Amino acid sequence: MTDLFLVYKNLTRKKMRLFLTCFAIFIAFLIFGAVSALKGALDSGVEMSADNRLVVINKINFTQPLPFSYVNKVKALDGVKNVTHANWFGGYYQEPSKQLMTMAVEGATYFKVYDELTIEPENYTNWMKNQTGLLIGERIAEQYGWKVGDKIPISSNIFSHKDGGHTWQFTIQGIFKPLDQKTDTSYVILHYKYFKETQTFGGTSVGWLILTTQSPSLNEQVAKAIDANFVNSAAETKTSTEKAFNKAFIEQIGNIGLIIYGVVFMAFFTILIVVGNTMVLAVRERTKEIAVFKTLGFSSMRIFKMILTESFLLSFIGGLLGMVGAYLVVGGVSKGLAGILPNLLIGPNTWAQAIGYMLLLGFVTGIIPAINALRLNIVSAFSRA
Amino acid sequence: MNSFLSQSFAVIRMNLLSLPRRLWMSLAMIIASAVVVTILLAFLAMARGFEVTLKGAGSDDIAMFLRDGSAAELNSVLSKSQVDLIENAPGIAKDKTGVILSSELYVIVDGIKKTSQTAANIPLRGTSQTGIKMRQDFKLIKGRLFNTGTTEMIVGAGILRQFDGFELGKTIRFGKNKWQVVGVFSTGGNVFESELWSDYRVIQNLYNRGSSVQSIRAKLVEAGDIKQIKEYIKNDPRLNIDVETEADYFSAQGKSLNYMAIFGKVISSIMALGALAGALNTMYTSVADRSREIATLRTIGFSNSSAFVGTLFESLTLSALGGLLGALGAFLLFDGMSTSTLGGSFTQVVFSFELSQDLIVQGMKMALGIGLVSGFFPAWRAARMPVLTAFRTE
Amino acid sequence: MSEKNIFKLTNLVKRFTKGKETLSIFEDLNLSIKEGDFVAIMGPSGSGKTTLLNMLGGVDQPTSGEVEFDGKGIEKLSENQLAKWRASNVGFIFQFYNLMPMLNAHRNVELPLLLTQLKSKERSQRVETALELVGLKDRAKHMPGELSGGQQQRVAIARAVVSDPKLLLCDEPTGDLDRQTADEILEMLQLLNREFGKTIIMVTHDPSAAKFANRVLHLDKGKFVEKELSL
Repeated sequence: MTDLFLVYKNLTRKKMRLFLTCFAIFIAFLIFGAVSALKGALDSGVEMSADNRLVVINKINFTQPLPFSYVNKVKALDGVKNVTHANWFGGYYQEPSKQLMTMAVEGATYFKVYDELTIEPENYTNWMKNQTGLLIGERIAEQYGWKVGDKIPISSNIFSHKDGGHTWQFTIQGIFKPLDQKTDTSYVILHYKYFKETQTFGGTSVGWLILTTQSPSLNEQVAKAIDANFVNSAAETKTSTEKAFNKAFIEQIGNIGLIIYGVVFMAFFTILIVVGNTMVLAVRERTKEIAVFKTLGFSSMRIFKMILTESFLLSFIGGLLGMVGAYLVVGGVSKGLAGILPNLLIGPNTWAQAIGYMLLLGFVTGIIPAINALRLNIVSAFSRA
Repeated sequence: MNSFLSQSFAVIRMNLLSLPRRLWMSLAMIIASAVVVTILLAFLAMARGFEVTLKGAGSDDIAMFLRDGSAAELNSVLSKSQVDLIENAPGIAKDKTGVILSSELYVIVDGIKKTSQTAANIPLRGTSQTGIKMRQDFKLIKGRLFNTGTTEMIVGAGILRQFDGFELGKTIRFGKNKWQVVGVFSTGGNVFESELWSDYRVIQNLYNRGSSVQSIRAKLVEAGDIKQIKEYIKNDPRLNIDVETEADYFSAQGKSLNYMAIFGKVISSIMALGALAGALNTMYTSVADRSREIATLRTIGFSNSSAFVGTLFESLTLSALGGLLGALGAFLLFDGMSTSTLGGSFTQVVFSFELSQDLIVQGMKMALGIGLVSGFFPAWRAARMPVLTAFRTE
Repeated sequence: MSEKNIFKLTNLVKRFTKGKETLSIFEDLNLSIKEGDFVAIMGPSGSGKTTLLNMLGGVDQPTSGEVEFDGKGIEKLSENQLAKWRASNVGFIFQFYNLMPMLNAHRNVELPLLLTQLKSKERSQRVETALELVGLKDRAKHMPGELSGGQQQRVAIARAVVSDPKLLLCDEPTGDLDRQTADEILEMLQLLNREFGKTIIMVTHDPSAAKFANRVLHLDKGKFVEKELSL
């Protein structure tokens, strides 16, 4: 028999209470794990941004176009490595509700700028040769079960085809894959030139430019040079790092961070009260036993440690089960939500935070009863009982 | 029956009077249910506020025309010839100057959100005098209307609440164009207040739209009746256009924040399970604490059902207190709180949390559910507590 | 019984403050107890016998005066030092046994050995010996709730002697037991006193329990009224 055995015996003496308390902690960590995964998924675009990549948009708003001529003008500036451009296609597959993120891009430069994406050279060559060719991201391939060679109709909720209707026929020529699994590949790309030639408005505008700089240290300088270059023109620009652009976009939805932290905080607060109270009560019921322990010669510090160990143990049992629960839940839904929320997973940071919260919960709920036990006077404890 | 009632009342009274003995455990249960209710109501009030804001904008006697498949004004485009054809459609109301119809444009510009200090999408709507008159709740709060053919604009009250730099008299630059804010308007809290309005012909010009527009609003002769118009569009191949009442259009858009209500229901239900665990602890403790009293009453002839009712009533009282506290908390913290999010048209919708009565009822139902379940099992234990062992419990 | 004093109390004063009032239990109490003696302390409620036992057991401390154990003063020891002192010198027996409800008899007896350096195997042997001594070897795996009052008290005695202390302090050890069981317990204490040389100090209400002691002290209003009982 050891002190840990005594702690274990104390913890398990009321099975129903142990179960209920663990369950409450389980719930708190289940919420924490799942909600953190949600936040991580929303932030992954920001996290995965390349350091030296800039986005050039129309100063009015990113939905406003830029003249095609800007591509070459930006390329000519100092510090710029590669430039590519993209147009929003407003794509959907079969039904308007089944949105498919689709962009019209310049194939020759796109993968130079997005160098974290890889594609079979043979597939790439075929795509470049076929103007109705389409490249799809790995996640799209998994989600829809599409393969190279499949013919896919994609409709646009913005543009109309010259031949009437809003639907274009494409042939999948390849699947691009990321070097890091967290990089988003839940979109498809088609040829800019083909898009411009076949849609009714015509014109040569592009949606936005993406460029890489020679080095991240040049980012600010390059961004300023680009915006200065087009000041007072028909289309002024706003250049920002990819990270800042993605972050601003997420913030459009609202202060998600605040909502998430609010929910997690409230959940923990509730559990803290429930568990803290239960611990105080459980230890108070044992007042006489603690007095006996002390009488036998157990030091106050040893009893203090035993009670704190008990609350840590409780917090870790419930907490780890909750995190495992969150892991299973997130794993279960991440497949279904891959289209809307890629990167739904519990990262090492979340695990580390969870362990931190378990320690905190164990400490906060155990410290008061532990101090009560530390201070417990044998004589008055016996006379009270 | 009478004796059952009076017995139950006696037990209930005793239970409630003994509550201070279990003050902290009882408070824990109250707070746990309160937090669950607050969270539930916060999300429901958010989704409700959003829905009301959009639904309130739609009118039943206005038909809205968009290019087919575009689903939102932003994506739509209609040519001048199509506008001319719509003007001749049947079922559209007329006044002295002709058909009551407004051609509108909808472009997105950047505004700086007060809360995050980052750029967010806000709509700049091109409209006309007729268009303004079509919004029944329209009211100019400050300044005057924009003059036709100028780069003047009026600003919705919601924009002023959530964005910097749109105050009356300010000059605003979108790209190289300068705009003057000449008025501030309200539309009774609906989504139009999250917009900037100016002359559609000026926008056509500045944004290279030629003579095209994005949507048409037309006053119906008879509210809700768009059958004739649908028929008319169907028979003309040049009109690849969708028509619906403005009310239908906005009520579909109002659903786009329903995921928040679902998220709130899911998260608060899960939290309710955690609170339930705490409440069960509280109630089992209460039964253990009162075991001597329960035994005494049982010995002198009280029925076990009165012990059951007494315990159940105690838990329902505590959880109802928690529910009320939670509803009050949600009311004080969230009701009327103004915020904005990305709506279906890809622009910011400014709306206020709306904690209506039916939502509070939903919150109370959840609290009482916690009370019912957490009271039932301990009450069962109390009712079945044998008299003898109860006497021996310290 | 040796001639050496195991306890020597000199000028002992004990007062409690309760709010504004000061309650005096002892004023100038003096007492010597010989090593190997079996002393019963009797007296009405409120006479101070439990307070005295607490001070002898080092769970309470005098307001002033000296408590000498084996020639060394224990009244100035810190709480931790007292805990160590109790662990190695005193075995306690309570009226309501005070066994840990979640531990079986064996583990209850083992508790004081957790305060020693003994290995788990040695501890088990000692526990078995102690349980054998009190005649409960076959009940080692039973939980306290499964034992009768007398059996529980015997487990408590095994717990008190398992670490082989010199001194046993008993607070109304038979107060919760019927006559026959009480006598069995008291005979066991006598045995521990005679055969194993334990010094026993027992507080009791019960004159027939006190008869088992070698010396009976009567405490009344904080003062001893010593009279030897004829055995």
